[in-house]
Amino acid sequence: TILFLAWLAGFSSRLFAVIRFESIIHEFDPWFNYRSTHHLASHGFYEFLNWFDERAWYPLGRIVGGTVYPGLMVTAGLIHWILNMLNVTVHIRDVCVFLAPVFSGLTAISTFLLTRELWNQGAGLLAACFIAIVPGYISRSVAGSFDNEGIAIFALQFTYYLWVKSVKTGSVFWTICCCLSYFYMVSAWGGYVFIINLIPLHVFVLLLMQRYSRRVYIAYSTFYIVGLILSMQIPFVGFQPIRTSEHMAAAGVFALLQAYAFLQYLRDRLTKQEFQTLFFLGVSLAAGIVFLSHQPTTWVSFFFDLHILVCTFPAGLWFCIKNINDERVFVALYAISAVYFAGVMVRLMLTLTPVVCMLSAIAFSNVFERYLGDDMKRENPPIEDSSDEDDKRNPGNLYDKAGKVRKHVSEQEKTEEGLGPNIKNIVTMLMLMLLMMFAVHCTWVTSNAYSSPSVVLASYNHDGTRNILDDFREAYYWLRQNTDEHARVMSWWDYGYQIAGMANRTTLVDNNTWNNSHIALVGKAMSSNESAAYEIMRSLDVDYVLIIFGGVIGYSGDDINKFLWMVRIAEGEHPKDIRESDYFTPQGEFRVDKAGSPTLLNCLMYKMSYYRFGEMQLDFRTPPGFDRTRNAEIGNKDIKFKHLEEAFTSEHWLVRIYKVKQLDNRETLDHKLRVTNIVPKQKYLSKKVGSQ
Amino acid sequence: MAALSVLALLLLLACGGPRAAGQKRKEMVLSEKVSQLMEWTSKRSVIRMNGDKFRRLVKAPPRNYSVIVMFTALQPHRQCVVCKQADEEYQILANSWRYSSAFTNKIFFAMVDFDEGSDVFQMLNMNSAPTFINFPAKGKPKRGDTYELQVRGFAAEQLARWVADRTDVNIRVIRPPNYAGPLMLGLLLAVIGGLVYLRGSNLDFLYNKTGWAFAALCFVLAMTSGQMWNHIRGPPYAHKNPHTGQVSYIHGSSQAQFVAETHIVLLFNGGVTLGMVLLHEAATSDMDVGKRKITDK
Repeated sequence: TILFLAWLAGFSSRLFAVIRFESIIHEFDPWFNYRSTHHLASHGFYEFLNWFDERAWYPLGRIVGGTVYPGLMVTAGLIHWILNMLNVTVHIRDVCVFLAPVFSGLTAISTFLLTRELWNQGAGLLAACFIAIVPGYISRSVAGSFDNEGIAIFALQFTYYLWVKSVKTGSVFWTICCCLSYFYMVSAWGGYVFIINLIPLHVFVLLLMQRYSRRVYIAYSTFYIVGLILSMQIPFVGFQPIRTSEHMAAAGVFALLQAYAFLQYLRDRLTKQEFQTLFFLGVSLAAGIVFLSHQPTTWVSFFFDLHILVCTFPAGLWFCIKNINDERVFVALYAISAVYFAGVMVRLMLTLTPVVCMLSAIAFSNVFERYLGDDMKRENPPIEDSSDEDDKRNPGNLYDKAGKVRKHVSEQEKTEEGLGPNIKNIVTMLMLMLLMMFAVHCTWVTSNAYSSPSVVLASYNHDGTRNILDDFREAYYWLRQNTDEHARVMSWWDYGYQIAGMANRTTLVDNNTWNNSHIALVGKAMSSNESAAYEIMRSLDVDYVLIIFGGVIGYSGDDINKFLWMVRIAEGEHPKDIRESDYFTPQGEFRVDKAGSPTLLNCLMYKMSYYRFGEMQLDFRTPPGFDRTRNAEIGNKDIKFKHLEEAFTSEHWLVRIYKVKQLDNRETLDHKLRVTNIVPKQKYLSKKVGSQ
Repeated sequence: MAALSVLALLLLLACGGPRAAGQKRKEMVLSEKVSQLMEWTSKRSVIRMNGDKFRRLVKAPPRNYSVIVMFTALQPHRQCVVCKQADEEYQILANSWRYSSAFTNKIFFAMVDFDEGSDVFQMLNMNSAPTFINFPAKGKPKRGDTYELQVRGFAAEQLARWVADRTDVNIRVIRPPNYAGPLMLGLLLAVIGGLVYLRGSNLDFLYNKTGWAFAALCFVLAMTSGQMWNHIRGPPYAHKNPHTGQVSYIHGSSQAQFVAETHIVLLFNGGVTLGMVLLHEAATSDMDVGKRKITDK
C-alpha cells in the first residue's frame, strides 16, 4: 500500500506542467527523442536501428541508429505497442509525456528494494517516499521531459539492487539478472560508466578489507564477462568497453580478482602482514585527483535539490560504516564518489540523489526505531507501522499544505523505562515536522522551478492572471502548414530539434552539435552582411531563416544575446573573415544602439531581428524601436533587404521567419545609363549674323 | 662680391651651427631619455609614471623605443579586482623581459595609476581600467595598439603575444616556479612512509571503523557545503560594503557563495548529523537512565 502511495505521490507531483499547460514535450532534447520514438512506432524496430536521417544536418544527414542510446525509444515504443495490442489506443506522444512519471514510481520501488537489502524494511519505505518527491530527481523526470535520465535512474537503482543481492547470495541467477538490468542501463544512458566503475571499485575495496569470499568472486566474474558482452550489443557503445580508459578499471579489477583468487587457492603462505602491507601500499600510490573545471556546485544547489536530506544523510553514512558489511561498503563508496562528482559538476546532482535518499532514510529509520517505542516489544510493530503509514500518507496529501500535527501517534506511547515518554514524543514530533517541511518544500520547488515546458512561456500580470506566450508553436506550425515539404530551414542549433519535431522540416544544424564546421558556417552567415550571407545561404540551399527575437517582450534568451557565441564559433573556423572585435565599440562594449559598431549594425542577424522594429512603439514612455531586452533604442531603424523577405512574425515578435529570395532573372546595372539626347548648353550662334 | 660670399658662407655656417647644436641637443635628449628609462628598469621592471614623466618620456617626440603602458587603478578604495590580477600578470611579463637574454632598450614597460596620473587618463579620454596601450616608436598609437582585454584576457602569455604582434619583440614568459604542489606530494609520501615504517607490523588501526566513518563524514560534509566550488572559483572570505562599511558573510545571489558562508553551512550540516547520531546513541541502552535523560536534553 505504502509503495503504491509513494508511486502515486511521485506521479502526481510531476504533473504540474501538464495540468497548467497541456500534454506536450518540453525543452529541446526531448523533441529529438520523441521524433525518434515516433519513427520507431511508425516504421518498426529494424528501420529505427538503421535509420539515416536526411532531414537533419542538411546536406550531411545524421546516422541516428548508431549515435543514440536506444533504450528510451524502445521502452516507449514497446509500451505503445503493448497498449495498442490491448486495444487501448494511446497516441505515442502521450506515452512519451507520461513515461517519466510512471518510471519514477518504478524507481521508488527499486529504491525500496535496495534499501531493504541494505538495512531494513522501515528504512526502505522511507527511502522510497523520499525519492518519490525529492526535487533533485524530479527536475529530470517531470511529465513532458522525455529524456534518458527518466528511465536511467530506475535502471541504475535496479541494477544496484540486483548487484547487492548477488553479492549477498553469491548465486549466478541473481548475477545474470543484474547483467540484464545493466544491459538495459547501457541502452538507456551514457551514465552507465558510473556503474561500470563503481562495481569494480566495490570489489576492489572488499579485497582491501579482507572481505574476499567465493560469493564476490562468482558475482563479479560473471557480471564482468556477461555484462561486457551485452553492453557491446548497443551500436553506440560498440567496442568502447575494451578501448577507452573509463572501462579499464573494470578490466583491471577483473584481472586482480582472478589473481587474488588464484593466490588464495594456492594458499600461498605469505604472512598475513606482508599481504596487508602490499595492498596498503598499492592503494596509497593510487592515481591523483582530476579537477574538472566544468560547473562546480554551490551549497545552495545541494540544499535546493535535497533539502534536509543533505543534512541528515551523513548520519546515515555514519551508521552504515559503523555497522559495516559487504553491501554497506558498496553504498558507502557510492555515496562518497557521488558526492564528489556532484560537487564538481552541478548536473551530476542527479546521480547523488538516490544515495542521499537511501542514507537519510536509514538515518531517520534508525532514530524512529529508537524513539517510537523501545521497550514495549508487543506494541512495537503496530506503532512503527502506523507511524510509518502516517508520514507516508503525508506526502500523498500534496495539496493539503497545512501542517497537521500528528499528536495521535505519540499518544499511543505508554510509559516506559529509559527515556521519558515526553522526550520521545517531542523528538518524534520534531522529526515528523521536519519531514512535513521537506514534503512542502519538494512540492513548492517542483511547482515553481521544474515545471516549465519552455516551449510555451507564461507571464503573470499585476492582477495575477496568466498570459500565455505560445509564439514558438505558432511559428513552427506556420512553417509546417505554409512551406514546401522539402524546404530547408536555417536557424541556430538550439532550435534544431524543435523545428524537426514540430515543424517537420529539414534543418541545417541541431542540438546534437556533432559538426562544428557546419555550425560555424551558419554562424558566419548570421554575422556577415547580407550579400556575403546570401552566398553562403545559396550554397547550402537554404529556403527559410528562423530567428528568435525577444525585444518586444523582454525575453532574454533570444538570438541577439547569443550572437557573440555565433561570432566566436564562426571566428574559430574563418578567422580571416570574422573578427569578434569588429562587433564591439572602440571602448569594448557590445551595443545595439547608434553607438554600436557598424559591422554589427549591418550584419544579417541584426537586420533580421530589427526589421520594422523601428516603427514599433511599445510604450508611450519609450521611443519607437526601443529594445526591451537590451534596454536601448536601436541604432539602425531603416532596414531594407535585398535578398530576403519577411515571411512570418509571431504574435509577440518572438519568432521571425524570413524567406530567402531566388536570384533575380535580370541583374540590375550599377552604372548610369547612357544618355542619348544631349541638349547643348550653348546655343549655336550662326555666323550669318551681321558683323559690326 | 667675394666679401658678400664670405659673409653668406659665414652666415650659413652660423645658421648651420645652431642647427647642428640643436640636433645634437635633440640627440642628447633622446639618449638621456633612454638611459633614464634603462636605469629605472634596472631598479624595477615596471616603471611607475606620473603625468609629468609620462608626457616627457612616452608622449614627447624623439623616441626610438616603444613603451607598453598599463593604465590601472590599484588603490584599495577603487575596488578593482581585475586590476590587481592583471597587474600580477603584467609584472610577470615585465620580469620575464628584463631577465631574458634578448633584453634591449627598444621596449619598456610602464604603468600609470589613476590616483597618481589622473590627468593622463583625461588626456587620453580613458574611462575604464585596466587598459594596456602600446606607444610605438614612430607615430601615434592605432586601434590595434589598445589591447583587447575582454577578448583575450590578461594572462601574461596573451599579453606577450600581443606585444610581439605590435612591436616584433618576442618575449618568453617565464613564471616563478610554484613549489606548493611538489611540497604537498612530498609531505604526503613522507607521512605514508612513516606510517608504514612505524606501524608496519600492526595495521589493525585500519580496521577502526570509527576512524573510517569519521574520515568519510568529513569528506562528505566538505563536498556538500560547496568546498569544490570554492576551490575552483576562489571567492573572497566575506564582502565588505565600501559605502556602509557593513560586512556581509552571505552572498546575495544563489549562483555564488563566500567562503564564510560555506563554513556556516558546514557547521550546520555537521551539527544536524551529530544531533542525529547522538539521538541514536542516547536511545540505546548502553548508559544508565539518568545519563540518557541528560544526554538527550
